[in-house]
Amino acid sequence: MRVLACIKRVPAVAGRMVLTPDARALDTRHLGFTISPHEECAVEEAVRLIEAHGGESVVLTLGPAAAVEQLRDAMAIGIGRAIHLETGDEDWDAESTAAALADAIRADEAAAGPFDLILLGNESADAGGYQVAVRLGRALGRPTVAGIKGIAVADGAVRCEQEVTGGRDVYRLPLPALVAVLEGLNTPRFPSVPGRLRAKSKPVSASSPARAAQRLELVRLVVPQGKAKQAEVLGHGPESAPAVVAMLDGLGLVR
Amino acid sequence: MSAETVVGVVAFGLVLYVLVGLFALRATYLLRLVLNGRASDRTGDLGRRSVREVVGVLFQSKLFLRPIPGVMHLLLFWGFLVLLPTIAMSFLGAMNAHWSIPWLSEQGWFALMVDLFAIGVLVGVGIAFTIRLGLRPRRFVGSYLQVAYNILLFEASITITLLLWHASQIALGINEYPAEWAPVSNAIASLMSAGPALEVFERVIVWVHALLILAFLVYIPYTKHLHTFVVWFNVFFERTRARGRLEPLVFDDPAVPEDEIRFGMGTIKDMTWKQMVDGMTCTECGRCQDACPAFATGKSLNPKLVVMGLRDQLYREGHALLAAAEGGAAFAGSPLVPNAVSDESVWDCVTCGACVQECPVGIEHVDHIVDLRRNLVMVESRFPAPGSAMLRDLERTANPWGNSPTDRVDWTAGLDVRVLQPGDPPPEYLFWVGCAPAFDERARVGAISTAKLLTEAGVDFAILGARESCTGDPARRLGDEYTYQALAGQNVATLTEARVTKIVTTCPHCFNTIGSEYPDFGGRYEVIHHTQLLAELVRDGRLAPAVGGESITYHDSCYLARHNDVLAEPRELVAAVGRPVEMARSQKRTFCCGAGGAHMWLEERESQINEERAREAAATGATTLAVACPFCTVMLDDGMQATGGGLAVRDVATLLVEAVERGRSAGRELPVLAGGPGGAQAERPSQHR
Amino acid sequence: MTTVLVLVTSSDGAPDDVALQGLSLAREVAAGEPLHALVLGDEAAAAGLGAWGATQVHVARHPALADIAPGAAPDAAARILGDLADRLGADVVVGPGTEPGNTILARTAARAGLPFAANCTVVVPGAPLTVTRQRWGGSLLEEAVIHADRAILTVAAHTVAATPVPGGAAPVTTFEPALDDADLVVRVVERIPAAAGGVSLADAKVVVSGGRGAGSVEGFAPIEELAGLLKAAIGCSRAVTISGWRPHTDQVGQTGTKIVPSLYIAAGISGATQHMAGCKGAKKILAINKDPDAPIMSIADYAVIGDLHQILPAISAELRRVRGG
Repeated sequence: MRVLACIKRVPAVAGRMVLTPDARALDTRHLGFTISPHEECAVEEAVRLIEAHGGESVVLTLGPAAAVEQLRDAMAIGIGRAIHLETGDEDWDAESTAAALADAIRADEAAAGPFDLILLGNESADAGGYQVAVRLGRALGRPTVAGIKGIAVADGAVRCEQEVTGGRDVYRLPLPALVAVLEGLNTPRFPSVPGRLRAKSKPVSASSPARAAQRLELVRLVVPQGKAKQAEVLGHGPESAPAVVAMLDGLGLVR
Repeated sequence: MSAETVVGVVAFGLVLYVLVGLFALRATYLLRLVLNGRASDRTGDLGRRSVREVVGVLFQSKLFLRPIPGVMHLLLFWGFLVLLPTIAMSFLGAMNAHWSIPWLSEQGWFALMVDLFAIGVLVGVGIAFTIRLGLRPRRFVGSYLQVAYNILLFEASITITLLLWHASQIALGINEYPAEWAPVSNAIASLMSAGPALEVFERVIVWVHALLILAFLVYIPYTKHLHTFVVWFNVFFERTRARGRLEPLVFDDPAVPEDEIRFGMGTIKDMTWKQMVDGMTCTECGRCQDACPAFATGKSLNPKLVVMGLRDQLYREGHALLAAAEGGAAFAGSPLVPNAVSDESVWDCVTCGACVQECPVGIEHVDHIVDLRRNLVMVESRFPAPGSAMLRDLERTANPWGNSPTDRVDWTAGLDVRVLQPGDPPPEYLFWVGCAPAFDERARVGAISTAKLLTEAGVDFAILGARESCTGDPARRLGDEYTYQALAGQNVATLTEARVTKIVTTCPHCFNTIGSEYPDFGGRYEVIHHTQLLAELVRDGRLAPAVGGESITYHDSCYLARHNDVLAEPRELVAAVGRPVEMARSQKRTFCCGAGGAHMWLEERESQINEERAREAAATGATTLAVACPFCTVMLDDGMQATGGGLAVRDVATLLVEAVERGRSAGRELPVLAGGPGGAQAERPSQHR
Repeated sequence: MTTVLVLVTSSDGAPDDVALQGLSLAREVAAGEPLHALVLGDEAAAAGLGAWGATQVHVARHPALADIAPGAAPDAAARILGDLADRLGADVVVGPGTEPGNTILARTAARAGLPFAANCTVVVPGAPLTVTRQRWGGSLLEEAVIHADRAILTVAAHTVAATPVPGGAAPVTTFEPALDDADLVVRVVERIPAAAGGVSLADAKVVVSGGRGAGSVEGFAPIEELAGLLKAAIGCSRAVTISGWRPHTDQVGQTGTKIVPSLYIAAGISGATQHMAGCKGAKKILAINKDPDAPIMSIADYAVIGDLHQILPAISAELRRVRGG
């Protein structure tokens, strides 16, 4: 089978959010970059599916030149080749991202045959748009399911499990299909160094799509203010226990 | 030539041919293995190597760290050196009763030495048996005990047959030296009476003696006694640079094809020749095990069994390896972990180097363990999950806790610390803060104190702030050489770009990595530990501490003391601020805090190393436990809290800050000392600007 | 004139909290103009929506959707919503910023070829419409303009208070929407009930979480003990999941479970962005940490400084003492 994983390069934000002077982007000068956590699971799942069923896995991203790092990371754990839709440094909205991905997928499928399964992250860590998978599915005319934490492929269909209140919902989509996955789907493996070295020589085909007018146009970013008030220190060490229990009692949790 | 002689020569010649041939077969196999080992550069430093050969092998310096076994081994070692000519004498004697080595066999002094050293060997064997069977020290657990007994029995019987042979010669009057020079043999001879029976006995005993020697020769290369042949090489080729430095792996050499790249040690095929010789040299004495903090706290790691396990697997699979090397079927060795060494053992190691420090025969256990880790991490991706969290954080945020790089300057709040911006003129000293002081609330106290003292003494220093990255030490010690080299490359580029020449750091791990390892990656700086710089400032009078009455015990950090020989300066500082008292294990024989080898990020199994050390510190009766390492600070503070030891765990710099303040207030009271640190500084032309 | 349509998801006859929050946000946008609510099948949930500001309630009933939850056929739901918006000529379509809400509204937007703004906290009416929406799970906000004739958006969960309209009432009309087989390809075919026992993280009133400071699998023992006493769910940070100490199902955070308990006890958690995005919905937060300057303190209501391994057992012991006495 052929499986495609779509990923996004995002900064590894650890502490405070620091913005660029124009407040239109994060200041990433001192930050590392990574694949969005949900998409790491998508990549891992693609590798596992090909290990189990045979075939080809491909990774696709739309992002700046440096996003080739994330493509190499995906190939380091076993993806066969990569497609890079190279952009400038500005963010693309979900609509234009999905359109560019759809074009690239159509082109690749015309050359190498259809993808049985396209895996995406449920939402990107940074923009959190919750829609690229759905738009892509619509553009390609394939069924799409989101919020998935369990995947099994058999008999020309993909069985997907979703965690909901009170249990797990099961979807069964005929292939070809798209699945937007959540972290927890699997435990991504740690890349081996031979894998990383091999990834350096795996093929990356690059092209530069044009950025359409943004219909969800970012004006500026704002770092939300924390709570104005200071935390009330109930004490230091085990001696604070009575104060904590008094607080719990105030919330009606003791009696 | 008499018929008897012809028979003797032919018979012994045949025996010699067969038994020496058997020995040579085994020796050739071992030699071919070593020649097939992976490269390890041990050239250079001929002077140091020669000195070590004399001190370490001939005079057995390390064995005398334990006096009784030391004497025992010296008796056996020198006994056999002296008795070596008697082997040739016995071979000649076996062929013809009147043959021997000309001249030497006539020397009374030699006969005396033979007698004395023979007795020495027997005493040595006696002591060895007493230790092994009577005292039964724990260090022999897991060693091949029966083999050791066999060796001792060989040694004893060879010596006894030698004495009996000499005695029978004296009794028969066929000795060439004056009999009175050989008091022991002579005394035994007095119990014998010459006659045909004794003539037969003399023939039999010299043959028994010679056959025992030859049988022992065949036996030796299958046993730990092989060390007598290879220790000379192993000690000579021991590492000569700082102990803390690990051998780099090469990933991006275009001359090395991809399948030839060495990712540590997965099968015996990956062992370097030195690692092979290490195994062949191991005497299973267990000194490493006795010193190992992991073993001492009930963990599965036993450095002796690591070396033995690797050696045994090498011997088992070596024939297949050689066959493959000579064009046979591809070598399919079984993995060293868990066959030779268990997974747990590999991860228990804190890389403190106590085993290497103790080893009398030049074995480098830490290199073996790190190489096993390298394969597990970089090839198998099989390692404790908390380690992978740490490595991911290192890759993404350039610190092992996943904190934001911009928060690296938070600890300087309220201090006068310059953050070096790109293009700024370099400071005299770059203060390399390290991740623990930057992000851990307890570890940062030492860095804050150091910054205060440097400011007080007027030292021109600056920090890199968000541009500083982890040195890569935890990644490297965990076995991820790849991530380590990425971080090392990044840091060397930053430091070079900033035109840094001198670096001071409070962290012995950063100190070791930048000072002892970065030169391998093109980073050459003068790196000093904060205790060294502060001691210099005190010596120069730029800091004027007033000694207090507190009794202080100083804990040597492994990476400072054992791995990099910084012993004196921290003690100078402790003596300048209080009353020093030493722990039982100190200086180069210090006991780890438990954080080394990336253990700050791994779960510790069984009992806790830091608690063991905290109890040892408490046993000194001191009120303060002085440390010179941010990791030791955290680990020993935890250990102290857990054991209720009650000692305050403080960085030496923090104690110095208090002493300097004491000095200043004393200065106010006593005008004679006025001037204090500031005055002294003003009068003295500074070397630091 | 602005016409606003709100998708109100529900379960077991009750509208979802976040859907009511969406109604409140939509009320401000409608500013007195008609406010339509769409309910999928659940007539019981539709009945009271007038009291939350709806002026007209539409209930879609379709035989193909009779036996499954309304959100469980997202393409069908999206078509119903889109068709109704067309019929009403809606200018703004609002949904709940939940997993099903976001996927349904995204599908509605994709079908119509319109932009979609997920997880908005503020909507400024006007042409074009301006929104403030969450990025990074709410750790960063984005002000954005929606350039479209119809604005499609969801309200970020628990960022807008659901305020009732005293005495409000709205007529309810039921209709059968048009659906094709293609709209029903993506649908739930089976439901596996959760194993009984344990408190679900998402619904828990109290959550006790451990972070890196727990130190090991065994380090969670005092957390489990206190959680047991408070009938609380156990949570953890992402560092803990990656370290293999707890399963991913326990993970509180941007890529784990976003929780909304009355009390959140964060022990040994420093407060990475990823974690804060999942726990800041808690009404009260008690942070237990060695570092008084840890980022978690900036969102905590109460703090105890020190080692969780000493503090949690002391709290458990005190709780037992007080309850016993």
